Amino acid sequence: MSATLKPYLTAVRHTLTAAMCLENFCSQVVERHNKPEVEVRTSKELLLTPVVISRNEKEKVLIESSINSIRISIAVKQADEIEKILCKKFMRFMMMRAENFIVLRRKPIEGYDISFLITNFHTEQMYKHKLVDFVIHFMEEIDKEISEMKLAMNARARIVSEEFLKHF
Amino acid sequence: MAKNTRSSAFRKIDVDQYSEDNYKEDEPDSGPTLGPDENEVNVLLQKGKLLDALRTVLVNAPVGVKNPQVKENALALALKVILSIKTSQIDDILNALDRELLDTLMKYVYKGFENPSEGSSGHLLLWHEKIYNIAGVGCIVRVLADRRRV
Amino acid sequence: MTEQHRFGNNPITCHAWNADKTHVALSPNNNEVHIYQRNGADWKQVDTLNQHDLRVMGIDWAPKTNRIVTSSADRNAYVWSQDKDGKWKPTLVLLRINRAATCVKWSPEENKFAAGSGARLISICYFEKENDWWVSKHIKKPIRSTITCLDWHPNNCLLAAGSSDFKVRIFSSYIKDIEDVPKATQWGAKMPLGQLMTEFVNQNAPVGWVHDVSFSPDGNKICWVSHDSSINVADATKGNGVYRLRTEFLPFLSCTWVTNNSIVAAGHSCIPVLYTLDKDGQMNFLAKLDTSAKKESGGLSAMKMFHSLDKQARIEISDTNLDSIHQNQITCLRIYEGTKEKATKISSSGADGLLVIWNLNASSLSLENLKI
Repeated sequence: MSATLKPYLTAVRHTLTAAMCLENFCSQVVERHNKPEVEVRTSKELLLTPVVISRNEKEKVLIESSINSIRISIAVKQADEIEKILCKKFMRFMMMRAENFIVLRRKPIEGYDISFLITNFHTEQMYKHKLVDFVIHFMEEIDKEISEMKLAMNARARIVSEEFLKHF
Repeated sequence: MAKNTRSSAFRKIDVDQYSEDNYKEDEPDSGPTLGPDENEVNVLLQKGKLLDALRTVLVNAPVGVKNPQVKENALALALKVILSIKTSQIDDILNALDRELLDTLMKYVYKGFENPSEGSSGHLLLWHEKIYNIAGVGCIVRVLADRRRV
Repeated sequence: MTEQHRFGNNPITCHAWNADKTHVALSPNNNEVHIYQRNGADWKQVDTLNQHDLRVMGIDWAPKTNRIVTSSADRNAYVWSQDKDGKWKPTLVLLRINRAATCVKWSPEENKFAAGSGARLISICYFEKENDWWVSKHIKKPIRSTITCLDWHPNNCLLAAGSSDFKVRIFSSYIKDIEDVPKATQWGAKMPLGQLMTEFVNQNAPVGWVHDVSFSPDGNKICWVSHDSSINVADATKGNGVYRLRTEFLPFLSCTWVTNNSIVAAGHSCIPVLYTLDKDGQMNFLAKLDTSAKKESGGLSAMKMFHSLDKQARIEISDTNLDSIHQNQITCLRIYEGTKEKATKISSSGADGLLVIWNLNASSLSLENLKI
């Protein structure tokens, strides 16, 4: 299973490098406005083909790009009910603080757990290759974090139930 | 007042879509219209001529066609060929293809990711890496930028 | 060899040189244009052009008449001329567009300029003496999306325009009020204003927004770079056939001819690359202009690891810097020394705030091989 992790992340990295070629583009629909075209989607010629990279049926990444913005949606592995709940809570925690993350989107795209929105303004302020590093690092860490949380939760549940059952 | 003044449906019309100046996507069907011949490809696969089978599938890829059935059939056929090629044979086969076919092959790899089946993603990831090593990041950019989708 | 100049940390949207290359006008990713004067290896800011409200998208400096034209996302363009005490004064331009102006270029004779816009049209502007302003004529059909780049033919009349609707078109911009009828060229004979001389479409289907377009010095060939990481050349003497070279780099954002048979292109890969055209019209990669390798820092890698662990709590030794001079995409290329016919130095500016001057005569490149 983990044999596919490295090729998966490498493939995502290369695709992100290719898709993150953004430049400033003023809206051609509303004067004096500058909007991320991948969100607005009114001008079809400004959007690139969305691509999916999947590691297996459960884990995949959707990359949609346009002339001035890119949207990356990640579907995280959730093996059982507990992981589903933990993942949902964790993602929600981060998405509520999306402003501090700068590149995080407040709502994930349908079918995915978390989404990033990177615009040309971000690539002007930050290095592109570091942004790509960040997304890959995020993908690596999420799995670890959720497993850790699950272990911690199970440990606590065991202690709590032991204490409770001591009464009987 | 003879006019119906209650209906406000007119407010919801998106006027911009009717503007003449807009970019229109309707390109006529171009390129191979029917996709690769299934029988031909199956025969080549049985004979073990994997490079020829792959070449047939790629050269006849229905990239310019709008008919979804044709595209689906071609995709299934392409994935069948791609997944039946063993890991050790991939390098030789890739070296025999030219740049344009590599671009089309990369498009099929990405399309294959969209509907993962048992073990297919792992194999496709290997193909992805090998094609990238030959054609560079430009190949991926062309998959994104090309409006003729497989 | 290569000179690097830093102008702050903000991206440089675009830059333009004056006739003797002592002054450069550039925009630091905002609504201002700064004019710098060269002082040996240093630069002194001599003026700030502050008339626009939104980001400046294009700058061009006319070498013979010493005028600067700037276009901005606020739908305006201004022509600046220097008065007696060296200050730059703006003159209004009536572009009559209702979207952002994207790019602007003076014509070779400098009696008119073209401005592309997001309103899906090109404004050809010329000076009207009676009212002391610049008026424009529009070229609209059959453009379907924002015009991203422009270039003039040496005959002062034909204009190549690349757009985000994936097509490159050559238009005639003949204005009968200010010039004589142009002679026929390889691209066509009849040239009323707005006449579409040719439209180039990539083979069967559109592929990628056109980022930059450039006429060859003799005007018979045109090259463009588009978002599918390709460089395309079309030759009017060979029946407008398009030769498309797919590259393995990231898409290029800017290109220019440096002799009649070679092109330098630069873009998202942060490295300018030189391509040559041979007798059969085939394009080949010649060299990367940037040969800087990753800086080898001495010392054991274990020590480096602890160093980074100590400083940034990071285990990996991955470097923040790219192994090229430019650290972010190159957005604008200009000829610094020489002409399109025989350029010896070119300058590039990028989203990292650097302006780099590249020497094309470097022995590692040997342009001598390209003489046909």
